[in-house]
Amino acid sequence: MISDVFTWLNDPSHWRDSAIFDGIPTQLLNHLRYSVIALLIAAAIALPLGLLIGHTRRGGWFVSTVNAIRAIPTVGLLVLLAVMIAPHFHGRTDLGYLIPTEIVLVIIAIPAILANTYAGVQSVDPEVRDAAAGMGMTGSQVLWHVELPCSLPLVISGIRSATLQVIATATIASYLPLLGGFGRFIYDGYHQQDYAQMVSGGVLVALLAMIADLLLATAQRYAVSRGISGRYAKSAGGATTVATVEAEVSAV
Amino acid sequence: MKRKTLVIATAVAALSVTLAACGKSSKSDSGGGGGGGGTIAGKMILGGPAELQTRADGPTGLQKNYGVSFQAFKVLDTGGPLTVTALKNGQVDAADLFTTDPAIKANNFVVLTDPKSNFGAQNVLPLINKAKATDGVKQVLNFISTKLTTDVLIELRTKVETNKEDPDQAAQEWLASLSDLPTSTPAKGASLTIGSANFPENVVLADIYAEALKGAGASVKTHLNIGAREKYIAALKDGSIDLLPEYSGALLQYYDKNAKVASATDVYASLQKALPANLIVLDQSAAEDQDAIVVTKGTADKYKLTSIADLANKSS
Amino acid sequence: MDHRSEDLGFLWDHVWLSAVPVIIGLVIALPLGWLARRYTWTYPPLMSITGLLYTIPSIALFVIVPPLFGLKSLDPLQVPIALTVYSVALLVRVVADGLASVPDEVTQAATAIGFGRMRRLVSVELPIAVPVIAAGLRVATVSNVSLVAVAGTIGMDNLGRLFDQGVQLSTPTAYYPPIVLGIVLCVLLALAFDVLIVLGNRLLTPWRRAVISQ
Repeated sequence: MISDVFTWLNDPSHWRDSAIFDGIPTQLLNHLRYSVIALLIAAAIALPLGLLIGHTRRGGWFVSTVNAIRAIPTVGLLVLLAVMIAPHFHGRTDLGYLIPTEIVLVIIAIPAILANTYAGVQSVDPEVRDAAAGMGMTGSQVLWHVELPCSLPLVISGIRSATLQVIATATIASYLPLLGGFGRFIYDGYHQQDYAQMVSGGVLVALLAMIADLLLATAQRYAVSRGISGRYAKSAGGATTVATVEAEVSAV
Repeated sequence: MKRKTLVIATAVAALSVTLAACGKSSKSDSGGGGGGGGTIAGKMILGGPAELQTRADGPTGLQKNYGVSFQAFKVLDTGGPLTVTALKNGQVDAADLFTTDPAIKANNFVVLTDPKSNFGAQNVLPLINKAKATDGVKQVLNFISTKLTTDVLIELRTKVETNKEDPDQAAQEWLASLSDLPTSTPAKGASLTIGSANFPENVVLADIYAEALKGAGASVKTHLNIGAREKYIAALKDGSIDLLPEYSGALLQYYDKNAKVASATDVYASLQKALPANLIVLDQSAAEDQDAIVVTKGTADKYKLTSIADLANKSS
Repeated sequence: MDHRSEDLGFLWDHVWLSAVPVIIGLVIALPLGWLARRYTWTYPPLMSITGLLYTIPSIALFVIVPPLFGLKSLDPLQVPIALTVYSVALLVRVVADGLASVPDEVTQAATAIGFGRMRRLVSVELPIAVPVIAAGLRVATVSNVSLVAVAGTIGMDNLGRLFDQGVQLSTPTAYYPPIVLGIVLCVLLALAFDVLIVLGNRLLTPWRRAVISQ
């Protein structure tokens, strides 16, 4: 089986588009397209919200309720929205299935970004905040020039976690018709009993996720302000509380 | 400063990836895709189940038998609501549906005739464990097979799928409507577990077998909605089910991917040879549930389509 | 009615498929997490490996498991195995961080009283780590409930099959009951697991309530 997978991946016809088959590069672009759109929308919503809630220290309850979204089965929501929305679209378009997919992807991306942004801003040492106020900074200046830079690693960690979940769910979106992405190989392979294709799809998705994670992890490391690098080392003992673990756990 | 440039650079990169992806996909939708070359089919998108893509009677078979080559093939579902919606709303121009689908009549779709038998026969027949096929059981099931017709299948599917009736109730109603249902109990003493695939037509057929055998004295258990073919054939092999309704052509394809026969009698004969030792098929019914290429009435009128061969005509 | 027994069967399958991998995952993660703390040089490689495993999307892991473990391509066992891998990947980090959250003074005090290493681990460090581990368990079980439903799209028996049925019956118009039922049951199940773990956390850490009430 493992050799079959290698054969499938090395077959040049699988890298080309034909009338009846979309090749690996096309599906990669489809997968990225679905993911990036959702992440941009989710970040546009969750980043400002997280910064606001963290800075004003009000509405923490909102963050925990949003975390409860994790309990909703993504497949179920996908199917429900698709069945509601798809019949309304006419003509040669995949919007009828793309829109439900993007809605679900945004819904699952928001909790990770929101929770981590909130935790990041919250975890800024109150003394630092005090010092900034003492220097004469106004509230919004403290937010932009102090809290945001200090919490940037956790924010990027949230984006990283959201990216992984979005890539994973975009794979499942290929359960719906007319959509591409690497999940198409998995589901078509399943239906055609072409298990080499199915496993190859899985391998491709896994590789995509790992590379995305690597890129974002590097961004996370570079995002740490030079003045405080070393502050976020994984400490033995010290202030590891339930809250920070919850934030880190959802960032894993 | 470094932070800001990093953030801006990432945003720009993300945006450019998105734009590139959007650009690429729209290009491949309009320009790409091989086939056609001026034929009617070359302008149309075919939709169907993933299995059709690589099956012998799929695009390859259509090309070979009719010279028909579509612009593109889109994966939908196995003759289900997603295919119907896509055809109705114009996301695809032609679709692979099953001939018993009530949606065909409901939406005024046109089934293109298949004079060269690209899609082989698919007669409904019982697939049973040889050891469980007692004379009484055989008698009951063969009687049922004489009464099943394609119209009956359409009627049953309408009841279960469109009217959301309970499959078991639909099965009982149909049996009750048979004027010459025997009242004897030749199957007394037999005990069977009846399985089914996970689509409504197969569930109703399994319920019909179950109710008929129960009425004939057998002790019957059902294990329905098992799943795809690999799953329920495996269940037949390990004995967790003994009997289920099958389709001659599809079952033959499963055991012999290179089978080239198409007529009902040929398929039946080849099937009996291809089955493993412990499974047999009983008499097949006239009821057929074949794949068919279906178009909307509008498309049929526009291009004057009545058979699949018409798709190979040059488009004006 | 045929539906009720079939749906209950799906629910039961779903309960098992969500819970058992987490329990087994915890059993595996406890010694691994302890290892990462005790021999700190193992912490980075262990975290890298588990982190890597966790990045793999669930459905990809489902389909990759059979060839790696020599199973049939659609063996139902692949789901619990993949989910156990996930749970371990998540919980090793949590256990390590949980044990790390024990204040040094406490461990030193325990040694001073004469607790051996094993006894200290079991009677002092683990109990104090319970809240952190419980937080990780909540995440693991709740996400498992959603991941098991994904397996329904490749034919495995669980509540995810209800979504498939809803799609199949959506002719001529959308048919919501099985889909909504599936979503509601999944959410209730996730909630039930969450509550159970929170209660367990409360039961196992009576001293925290005493502290707060001061």
